Amino acid sequence: MERKFEIKDLITAGIFTALYFAVTFAVACIGFIPIVMVFMPLIGPIFTGIPLMLYFSKIKHFGMITITSVIIAILMFITGHPYPIFIFCIGAGLLTELVLKAGDYQSIRSCVLGSSTFSLWMLGMVIAFFFGFRESYLNSLVDGYGQEYVDKMSEYTPTWVFFTMIAMCIVGGLIGGLLGAKVLKKHFRKAGIV
Amino acid sequence: MELGLSSTSDNSVQKLDPRTKLCLLIAISLIMVGGKTVGVEYILRVICAAIPFVLLLTVRHIKSALIYVMLLGLSVFCEGSVIPNISGAPNLILMILCGIISRFVPGYMMGWYTVRSTSVSEFMTAMDRMRVPYFITIPFSVMFRYFPTLGEEYRSIHDAMKMREIGQSVKNPFIYIEYVLVPIMMSTVRIADELSAASLTKGLCAGGKRTHICQISIKFYDWLLMLGSLVMIVLFFVF
Repeated sequence: MERKFEIKDLITAGIFTALYFAVTFAVACIGFIPIVMVFMPLIGPIFTGIPLMLYFSKIKHFGMITITSVIIAILMFITGHPYPIFIFCIGAGLLTELVLKAGDYQSIRSCVLGSSTFSLWMLGMVIAFFFGFRESYLNSLVDGYGQEYVDKMSEYTPTWVFFTMIAMCIVGGLIGGLLGAKVLKKHFRKAGIV
Repeated sequence: MELGLSSTSDNSVQKLDPRTKLCLLIAISLIMVGGKTVGVEYILRVICAAIPFVLLLTVRHIKSALIYVMLLGLSVFCEGSVIPNISGAPNLILMILCGIISRFVPGYMMGWYTVRSTSVSEFMTAMDRMRVPYFITIPFSVMFRYFPTLGEEYRSIHDAMKMREIGQSVKNPFIYIEYVLVPIMMSTVRIADELSAASLTKGLCAGGKRTHICQISIKFYDWLLMLGSLVMIVLFFVF
């Protein structure tokens, strides 16, 4: 196996990031319903875990996940998320990189673990509801969505919810990773793709 | 190919630089998603909503421009005069729907315009001039090229499922997702391989400086629009 970073890897990164982003976007669309929004970090990774596992199985070099996380951060920023998304995305990307590296980009167990650490970037999407961003964000929602919606949202998101969301990300990522591993085993190994 | 970084550059007169488009895109999505609907920001919102419409007209996408205006008008109308008159669950649903449309559709249309009116070569060249490293630009251009293909693949899979009379009968959402996602993933792997073969043929791996024949330069109205979007962003953060 060659160890050099190639253009091929960049193309793989681009394509799988597109797939990952599309699935994330589709799931995020149902996240506008207030109660679903709270469980978003749990639901999201379960679905996105499936393409993510296929992507992990294609990774052979250090750096691809980091590129994916940077691209997702830029896309998320352009679509109007606050700047902490960069910290979360790139942090989660680097963490996942290390996890995958520990498994030498081969072991399924580290891939599943990587799926859960990579899901942590989703915290960057919901950070606006917590800590210093909370007041101004909720205020900006008032005239867009109405007081009723905002009241519901703030009722569902006290500060402790943020810490459960971390747990939700990890658990959701694990479930998604296991699901992805199952799908890979069922469909892709037989076809000789993985 | 319906949309996607078009392979041929159109020869309309008002050709903007990709960097200008990016500037406008960032300004529009920042203001439309996060902005309030009162005072100065209301004016900014109106301007931002109008920009994609005008730009779509300049590249003669009259149909999509009209659909865009109708969608936006409908949601603004609903927000203004329908929502205050109803209450309860319909109010909440309509509110969320209109909120999504009036916030995300302008940014989405601007993105659609950007992707539609910029060729891969122009995009790469502009990014090169901005000194963006190649390990960001290549995945990005591949990505934008791939999004429309993804839609096409999804439609074909949907058709194939219909032909075999599966789809409506699948009640379990996990099974449905498996039926849709697995073929898409299969074709994704295939397309990735084909694209890297194509890039090998084009000598992308050869190293050395990339050359191009497309003409991109920042002209007067590019400066004007960039300055305009900068002013809008500054106003947006001040107020």
